[in-house]
This record gives sequence, structure tokens and C-alpha cells, in this order.
Amino acid sequence: MTISRREMLQRTAAAAAAASLPLANVVPSPGSQAPKPKFFTPAEFALVDEMSDMIIPTDGESAGARAAGVAAYIDGRLAEAFEKDEPQRWRAGIAAIEALSREMNGGKTFMQASAEQRLALLTRIAAAESDAKSDAEKFFKQIKGSTIQAYYTSKIGIQDDQHYKGNVIQPGDYAGYDAT
Amino acid sequence: MTLIRFRSDQGPEVDLSKTYDAVVVGSGAAGGMAAHVLTSQGMKVLLLEAGKKIDVNAELRSMEWPYDHPRRGNAPPGYHAIRFNEYNIRQPPYAKGSAFKHVFSYVGGWGGSDYVKNILVDEKDNPYTGTKYAWVRARVLGGKTNIWGRLALRLSDYDFKGKTHDGYGEDWPISYADVAPYYDKVDLLLGISGHKENLPHLPDSLFQRPNKLTAAEVKLRKALQGMGRTATPYRAGVTTDGVKNKYRSKCFGRGACGRRPGGCDIHAAFDSPTGLIYPAMDTGNLTLRTNATAHEVLVDPNTGKARGVSFIDSQNLKTYVAKAKVVIVAASTLESARLLLLSKSRQHPNGIGNSSGHVGHNFCEHVMGPGVTGMVKELVGTEPTLDDGKPGGFYVPRFRNLQDKQPGFVRGYGFEGGAGFSIFPDSAWDTPGFGGQFKKSVRDHAGAFINMGGFGEVLARYENYVDLDPVEKDRWGIPALRFHYQFSDNEKKMCEDMVAAGKEMFEAAGIEVIGEDKTIRTEGWSIHELGTSRMGNDPKTSVLNQFQQSHDVKNLFVVDGSSHVSASCQNPTWTIMALAWRSCEHLADEFKRGNL
Repeated sequence: MTISRREMLQRTAAAAAAASLPLANVVPSPGSQAPKPKFFTPAEFALVDEMSDMIIPTDGESAGARAAGVAAYIDGRLAEAFEKDEPQRWRAGIAAIEALSREMNGGKTFMQASAEQRLALLTRIAAAESDAKSDAEKFFKQIKGSTIQAYYTSKIGIQDDQHYKGNVIQPGDYAGYDAT
Repeated sequence: MTLIRFRSDQGPEVDLSKTYDAVVVGSGAAGGMAAHVLTSQGMKVLLLEAGKKIDVNAELRSMEWPYDHPRRGNAPPGYHAIRFNEYNIRQPPYAKGSAFKHVFSYVGGWGGSDYVKNILVDEKDNPYTGTKYAWVRARVLGGKTNIWGRLALRLSDYDFKGKTHDGYGEDWPISYADVAPYYDKVDLLLGISGHKENLPHLPDSLFQRPNKLTAAEVKLRKALQGMGRTATPYRAGVTTDGVKNKYRSKCFGRGACGRRPGGCDIHAAFDSPTGLIYPAMDTGNLTLRTNATAHEVLVDPNTGKARGVSFIDSQNLKTYVAKAKVVIVAASTLESARLLLLSKSRQHPNGIGNSSGHVGHNFCEHVMGPGVTGMVKELVGTEPTLDDGKPGGFYVPRFRNLQDKQPGFVRGYGFEGGAGFSIFPDSAWDTPGFGGQFKKSVRDHAGAFINMGGFGEVLARYENYVDLDPVEKDRWGIPALRFHYQFSDNEKKMCEDMVAAGKEMFEAAGIEVIGEDKTIRTEGWSIHELGTSRMGNDPKTSVLNQFQQSHDVKNLFVVDGSSHVSASCQNPTWTIMALAWRSCEHLADEFKRGNL
């Protein structure tokens, strides 16, 4: 059975819309059901969660990094990291983002800033991607790399977004083209 | 899928009071083949493996999704895989002073994976010194056949008779006609998938059904046909139609063969335990001893012949002696050289079998790193297809210095490559930006890329060698190996040509070249080390005769890649097994005649 790209798009858009509903409030409110982060503070976790979802957002094809649990995956790895400078780099990077946000947005933290302001900040640090210099710019590369790794190894990333066709038993002819 | 059976590694009890017909050191492709051939001839064989006994089947989670693994296939905290830059900016021993609990070599796409942590040696326990070298060692039943890339190629007389062809180095003491029947035997016993091409420089095997090509690979193949070159489906040491072996199933194209949980749990891909050792154990003639780190081939003081092997139990640290009428060394090219050099006696003061002084020398391999990445425009935005349900993509056989003569270098190289959709969209790493546009771009381009990288012949040169470090020792007190090895100008020129030729071929196919990698990887990167005990007709300039038998000690054989006279540019595993089969058949004949 083959599904056309259009059909897949429609299906996953519906699924993504459904999946994103309970996550409308991105800042975990006190007493929310979200599990406590293991390494990040709740504020740090909220920033990582939001920024990862800005890097890989929900679109018509598939749900984004938030639904894929990217921040929780990063948090888990950092909590058990053997090299302690790695979690410290994250903490320092987040602090650099907060400092930049306060500077750009009249003292507001990244999560206090408006969606437009957050986008402006991310756009600014992403512009230096090929030649990151400031701590905030370096943090963008760090969180983007981890988001890519976590998202495209997640079920949503592999199945819903990439529609990966492998890891199946091909009992008969193999897929592909003959060498002629 | 449940056709295959599992076998415990339990065989006859090890009885060190008796003298075995043969003791084999090492259980990888070479040692496994030696055990297989000799036991089938009725000889009683003791197989020593330095690695611990692990249940490999419990390690293999071939169809596990990355998201079902707690670290998406990566090793736990405290396990460190040495990175490319570490190999280059530091000197061996690379794990010295490391704060990590365990340090492992890189190993292709499996670097730092959960799978290899029980297969590769811990560099902390197994140091080496000298020039930089990425030495990948597997100490476990089956050795590196648990992690090999499965590209299974034959050599031709362009390789065996390279000196005759271009004047460089030495010819092998055998020709293709000597080895061809044994390549056939290996093909039939183990199964190999591939497509016939009738190339004189890359002889065909007795192929089972080939893996198919992806759309981009077909495009490249067609273009290369017009250039007198070939892009052939990956010739894989994988049985696609099945073999008569109850421990192995045929390949069902489940794909993602290189995924980080690792391995092939149905053993369609060749590995030494299921392909060779378990069937050998079923003869009742094979005894297996794991945790057995051989450190000396023992010599009969009266005859000068080998009388057995001394080994240290890697767990209880006690020393034992395995007595045998014939000693077969198959510990891998570099470990075999180390073992010979360690085996000093009154009769063999430079190490057993080393009257020529050539043990450890003429060390060669494949240089790799340079390659190209291309994008096939018409594949951008196409619907995902199953492109990685196979052990590899394509292979471009050598095309240099066959009929032509390159000004900058002798010998040649082949390309390994792949194209199409895979379980992870690697292009995401290089896709700039973020947000919806980034995400869509990754999705649209996921199946549009094609890449290939060269594997080139490193010339066998006497000046490239290993010896024993006078000071450094491993965890068991055994002197460490010291490297004196580096690429020459020939390899560097060849690598420059790889990039240029790669671009030329992609451009000819109408594939946009979007990346070129000129970086030569650290010596050792190909994990194809060869030639430290080369064969030859002259005992003054070679260590072994054409049957991998020591010129000096007639009951000593070295049946692994050490024996290769030149590296060729083809991956060595199939040749290692064909030669081991040929030599062990000869060995068994001589043994029966009482000539050993």
C-alpha cells in the first residue's frame, strides 16, 4: 500500500493538531503534571523546551520537538553526564540567552518575552551559525545539534516526519532498482 | 525469521593436560576459518580467544528503534570513544590519563555506541605507543567480524602480481588462479551478495541475489558506464538466498544494518561464530577457551619447533600452557606480529619466525577519508522510499593505473558509497537555520543525497613497522606494541586524486557536488591493517611461504592479514578467509603425512 504525500500530510496534520492541544501552555504551571526535570531548573527546562520547539516546530507534516520530548531527552542525558563541563556549558549558555533577552527586551527573560521577541532573539543568534562567537551564538549551535539528534531519533521524527520506510521485513523482492 | 538456532559457546571441556593437534590463536575471520577447516579434516583443535565470553545474541537488538533505547543507541556515561581530533592532536597511548571510566577506539558509525562497548577493547587496559594510529581491536568471540562493514571483495592479479604490473614492491608467491577455488569455497559456504560485472581487476564471486540500487545510485551507474567505470551494488558478505547453516538465516532486507544498537541478530551477515565456529564445534573436534590472552608461542628446546602457546587468563590472571602439535596464529595483523615478537627463545632470539627481521615490517592498509557528497535535484521533495534495507550502497572498483599510468602515484583506490533515505537524515547537521523552513528542507532533501569515499592502497614499505615498546605494558604485564608508521607522498597524492575523480564522476552523472572532504583520516582508520608477516619465496625477505607457513618453523602458521604482501585497495576479509582455507587444507595434508 502506498500513501501519497498529500494523504500523509493530511493525516499527520490532524495527528499533530491533536497532539499539540494539551501543550498550549508552554510554561509549566505550579502543580502541573509535567515530570520534574532531572538536571535543568524548571525555568531552564522551559527555555530549552521552547527553543527546541522553535528550531523544529509542529508543521503540517508532523509534531515538533516539544511533542517529541526533546527537552526531556536532553535533560536526562545531562543529568547523567560523566563530563561535568557539558552540563555546565548548557547552564552557562542558557544564562547567556537570558542575559541577551533582558538586554533586547527591557529586562524580560526569554520566556517572559513575547513570541515575536523570542523569534527575534533566535533569528539574531542563528544568523551567526556558521561563525558563532558570543556565548549565546554558541548556545544556538549546541541546542540545535542536540535537538536534531533527539528529534530525528524520536518516534515522531522517524515515523511521522521522515516517514522512514525501513526496519521492516522484506520477505520477497528487495526494494530498489536492479543494476542493469 | 525464527528459523535459526542459537548455540551456547559450550563445547568439550578444555583439557590442558593433553596435546591438541592444533592450537589456534584468535577467533575472527582467520582463526574461525582455521578452526572450521581443520576440524572438518578431523583434527582436534583448541581455539584461544583473548576476549571475554559474552552472549552476543543478547547484545544484538537489530530491529530496535532508536527511541526504544534509553540513550538512542549510545554507550552509558563514562564510556568514551576517541574522536578524530584526539587521534591527531595527541600521541598514543590515547587513554593515558583519561578521566573516563572506559575508553574505546572509534569504529565507523558505531563509534561510542552501546553495542561496541562489550566488543572493542578498553584502551585503558590495552595501551600502545609510537606514531599516531587508530587501532581498532575487538576482543570477543568472533573478533572484528562482529563489527565489520561486510564489503566482501576479491583480489586479482593486478594485486597478486602488482610488481610485475608496475614495478613497485613485491609480487605475492601466489596468483589469482591459486586462490580462486578458495574464494569460490568461501562464497558457497558463507554466502555473498553481488552483481556480476566481468571486471578483470575485481573478479566476480559466486553471487547470491544482489542488493538493489537506489534511484541516485542507478543514475551514477549509468553515467559511469559511459566512462568505462562501474558502480556496482555493494558486494556484501551477507547471505541473501540462504546457506546450509542452522545458525544463520537469509537476509530479509530489514535495513539500517549499521544502526547503533548494532549487529545482525539473524546472522545473515557473516560473523565468525555462527558462520564458522559453531559449525566447527558441532564436529566435536573443537574446544574453545575464552579469556585466553596468548603472550608467547612456546618452543621445543630440542627441535626449535613450536610446542604450544602460553596464555594468561584475563580474569583470574593465572598463566596456562596449551600444548599442540601445530600452532596457528590468527590474532589479527598487529596482534599476531606482537605475539611473534614476544616469543623470543634461544633458537629464535628476534621472535619466533623472525630470522628475516621482517616481522612487524611491510605494514600496510587502506588510506581513507577523502570523498564527495552530491545532491540529485530531481529527488528533492520526492516521497520517502525504502532505500537502506541492505548492508551497503554501492562500490566503485579501482580505475586508476590499470591501463593508464598516473603521474602522481602508483596503484589505486575504490569508492564505497550510498544514497537515498535512511533512518537518520544526516543532512540535518548541515542544514542552516531553524523553524518550519529548516524542518521542511531536511524532509525534502532527506532522500536526495549521495556520497562516496575512497579506500586507497597504502604501499607496503619496510620502513612502516611495529615493534615492542621497551617500557609500556598492558594490563596483564605484556609488552605493548609500538608504531612506526605513516602515510607517504604516494598516499597523499592518491587522496588528492580521490576528491578530483569523485567530483568528476558525480558531475558526469549530473549530480550537483555539494561537499568535498579532503581530510585524510588517521592512520588505521580503515581497520584494514595488513602485512606484518608477509608471504614470499625468499626466507630472507619474507616471513611465511605461500601456505602462510613460517619459513623458520614448519609447524607454525600465521593465517590472518599479516601474511598479505600488499594491501591492494579491496577490503581484505574475503581474501583472509580464502587464504586461511587454502593454507589449512595444505596444513591438514602435511599433518596427516607427518611432515609437521
